[in-house]
Amino acid sequence: MTAVLTVLFNGIAYGFLLFIMSVGLSVTLGMMNFVNLAQASFSMFGGYVMIMAMQWFGIPFLLTLPLVFIAIGLLSVIMERLVFRHFYNTDDLTQVLLTIGLVFMSIATATYFWGGTYQRIDMPPWLIGQREIFGLTLETYRIFLIAIGLAMALALILGLERTRFGAMVRACVDNRRVAGACGLNTGLIFALTFAVGGGLAGLGGALSANLLGLDPNFPLRYLVYLLIIVSVGGMGTISGTLIAGIALGVADVMGKYYFPQFGGFVIYVLTVLCMLWRPQGLMGRKA
Amino acid sequence: MRIVCSALAATALTLAGFAAQAQETVKIGILQSFSGITSLGGQQADGAVKLFMKKYGDTAGGKKIELIRRDTTGPNPEVAKRLVQEVVTRERVNLLIGPDYTPNTLAAAPILMEAKVPSFVTGAATTGIIGEKSKYSTRTFFAVPQLCRPLAAYAVKNGWKRVYVAVADFAPGHDCEKYFLDALKEANGELAGNVRIPVSNPEFSGYMQRIRDAKADAVFIFMPIGELSIGILRAINDSGLKSTGIKIMGTGDITDETYIDAVGDAAIGTITTGIYSTQHNSPLNKEFVKEWAELNGKQRIGWGALAVYDSMRLTYDALNAQGSGKFDPDKFISFVHGRTFESPRGPVTIDKSNGDIIQNIYIRRVDKVDGVLQNVEIESFSNVGFK
Repeated sequence: MTAVLTVLFNGIAYGFLLFIMSVGLSVTLGMMNFVNLAQASFSMFGGYVMIMAMQWFGIPFLLTLPLVFIAIGLLSVIMERLVFRHFYNTDDLTQVLLTIGLVFMSIATATYFWGGTYQRIDMPPWLIGQREIFGLTLETYRIFLIAIGLAMALALILGLERTRFGAMVRACVDNRRVAGACGLNTGLIFALTFAVGGGLAGLGGALSANLLGLDPNFPLRYLVYLLIIVSVGGMGTISGTLIAGIALGVADVMGKYYFPQFGGFVIYVLTVLCMLWRPQGLMGRKA
Repeated sequence: MRIVCSALAATALTLAGFAAQAQETVKIGILQSFSGITSLGGQQADGAVKLFMKKYGDTAGGKKIELIRRDTTGPNPEVAKRLVQEVVTRERVNLLIGPDYTPNTLAAAPILMEAKVPSFVTGAATTGIIGEKSKYSTRTFFAVPQLCRPLAAYAVKNGWKRVYVAVADFAPGHDCEKYFLDALKEANGELAGNVRIPVSNPEFSGYMQRIRDAKADAVFIFMPIGELSIGILRAINDSGLKSTGIKIMGTGDITDETYIDAVGDAAIGTITTGIYSTQHNSPLNKEFVKEWAELNGKQRIGWGALAVYDSMRLTYDALNAQGSGKFDPDKFISFVHGRTFESPRGPVTIDKSNGDIIQNIYIRRVDKVDGVLQNVEIESFSNVGFK
């Protein structure tokens, strides 16, 4: 019984990891309708910012997280002003080609600055090891992931669905011309939303690097997972991304535990079935 | 027209110059991966060649050594094949160090056979790719069974009879699984369970629980170089599996010096088989490590660097033995095959009949030496064959 519960807990924690990694993409792709595959690169840079802050300046891990959010948010808004904003009105394929090109450039950039090797990541002692909770031995870092994932989900759902800024973002996405005519500064709102999406992607990278490792190939290796979670969850919903992350995370870990011979396969089968059943995603609005 | 004429004249001049010079130079093609995510291999090869030529000069057997570097970009057989064709037909290289990786080696073999160009296999470990179909090839790397078999006997000898086997789910993983299981059977060990882990896998906790449930004495791991090796060692530590006292064993890939720092302290205590560790205790190795550090700085020495360094060693020895006169590939091969020499990794023999490698295999344990994670050799198996 403890084995089953431990596996379930690990699955949920993995689900939160998937959510944390893909929520940035969920914001830009889902809310803004912009296919930005380079979100995965923002994640990678987030990881590098965290490591540099810790190793070079001795900043504690928790404090690096807001720093990562701001740094990558700034980077993404610069990129938005320079590159992305010119492509808001182009079709999906153009955006995919543009941003996948940027992914390759980011890999070369990271190799140039930090070398091709895997980075050494030292977590603070209080995040290492296991804790006994209700008789279960649980990994401390996974407990931390669940806590921070919940906080992020709550903040985003409330922030985007309940606040004035959230309403403005949704208005701009739904109909940019009308929103502009009503006096909204659509350019600024898009830039801000883009910064939030980028900052979240950076956070995702910083939080996942401990489990996934970090090297310049990070964006390409995990891009597929981001796309799966966002599309299964449904475009434009934070709660959908969370549900999809947890569902696929639990299915993946359970699958590997009970049917190891099909283990790696479960997540893809579920994705295909889900897309056949609800092409707009679990929580997505009908197009 | 005048431009064409002068171009022709220039070409003719170069060709004439080339012909006059051809007697005195030996061209070595260095086909390694110099760019992208596999560029570490190329850096290691460069480091080894640079070190060797600094130490032994740029002439051998009275001939000047000229290097032709080409980038295979990773395991890309179509690129490797094109590059081999190019360096063989246009650059007219006399021999090759590389190409790296098994698919690249296989793609190159027919061309090298036909053109009679000797080559050194420095980055492919698959069994059976050296021999009949490529008699001009020499392996200075290692063959999969050399790393996969010895740990079975070692584990049983130490009383770890029940072994769980976790391999990556791709061809080399299946190979290794087979060799290990055969050896385990021979040693009267017991299989506690086995699992094949997909090569694209960010999450290990389900597997960790399975291994824990099996209550094995030890777990044997084979993973490709890279994030899977880092991931599984960290998962074993994070999940608390390591603190249950289970022994963690594997091929040296999982604690490769080039990324063991990324695994961190989770790697300590891991027992692996390997062909080389910078910790190897021999005067030749101490000198090698010292000179490497002077020339290449902090970059750590991987197995690929050793394979390239030893290829240079064999090349220089063979050229010296041939002396003056035209480069003769058949003489070269008959000199190299069957040769025994001392390498920084220990004694190495190239098999006479098929050019594969016979070498010492070391059992190593990861420990901190002067604050740095190292693979410390604790036992050795002499002259392990490639089958």
